[in-house]
Amino acid sequence: MQDLITALARLLVSEPDAVRVTASELGRDTLLELTVAPEDVGRIIGRQGRTIRSLRTVLAAASRDSERGCQLEVLDRDES
Amino acid sequence: MKPLDEALLRQFLDTLLREGHFRLTYRFLARPAGEARDFENPELLVDFDGEDAPLLLANGGELLRATEHLAHEILRLGSDEHERLVFDCHNRRMLRVDELRTAAELAAQRVLKTGLPYAFGPMSSRERRVIHMALRGTQGIQTGSQGVGPQRHVVIEPLQPARPAARRREIRRL
Repeated sequence: MQDLITALARLLVSEPDAVRVTASELGRDTLLELTVAPEDVGRIIGRQGRTIRSLRTVLAAASRDSERGCQLEVLDRDES
Repeated sequence: MKPLDEALLRQFLDTLLREGHFRLTYRFLARPAGEARDFENPELLVDFDGEDAPLLLANGGELLRATEHLAHEILRLGSDEHERLVFDCHNRRMLRVDELRTAAELAAQRVLKTGLPYAFGPMSSRERRVIHMALRGTQGIQTGSQGVGPQRHVVIEPLQPARPAARRREIRRL
């Protein structure tokens, strides 16, 4: 799932080299945290959050057979 | 207008299917240049098939619409260019257009008969456009959109609102 989100995020952004995805456990789920260049945060989220919502839909479908659910969050550089 | 970057689109689709382990195949159906573009006649139609087709079509085609949105973003297509590239599977999108047109005609007939406005449920801009276009030539009504964001919906209004007396008679008859 990490590879899927990394690959899709790299296609979406203007600075693919800045894309990082880390995976950690969050209860019974896997939490994927996506970091992109500050100027790409808007692109990843999209108008009215449509792009990040689409990524979450793809992620949910891709992890349908896995025992663990997958959650996706975009990290703001300042928070990390 | 720049041509669609088909190589980039293939890269996206191949990545998506491989990394997401989706059992799907796709084919490109290109339309000749110079024809009028709209939702039913896109420049490029990506047609999916395969074992996971039901997954793509579940929840009103949620995954199909999500992947199409990602493709629009990756290809940097502005909102006025979305009709150039459409994703479909088992003809779902085209059937939905027929469904919307039928709903539009029925609603318009009702507005003409009762003289009362009719509001549709919330729809995407593309679906709202199908309704507007379907009723473009219908006499005696006008269509508009109301509400913001995900609540935006089409309203059909009569050009001549029902007179109060006629409205009362109509309500009794209904």
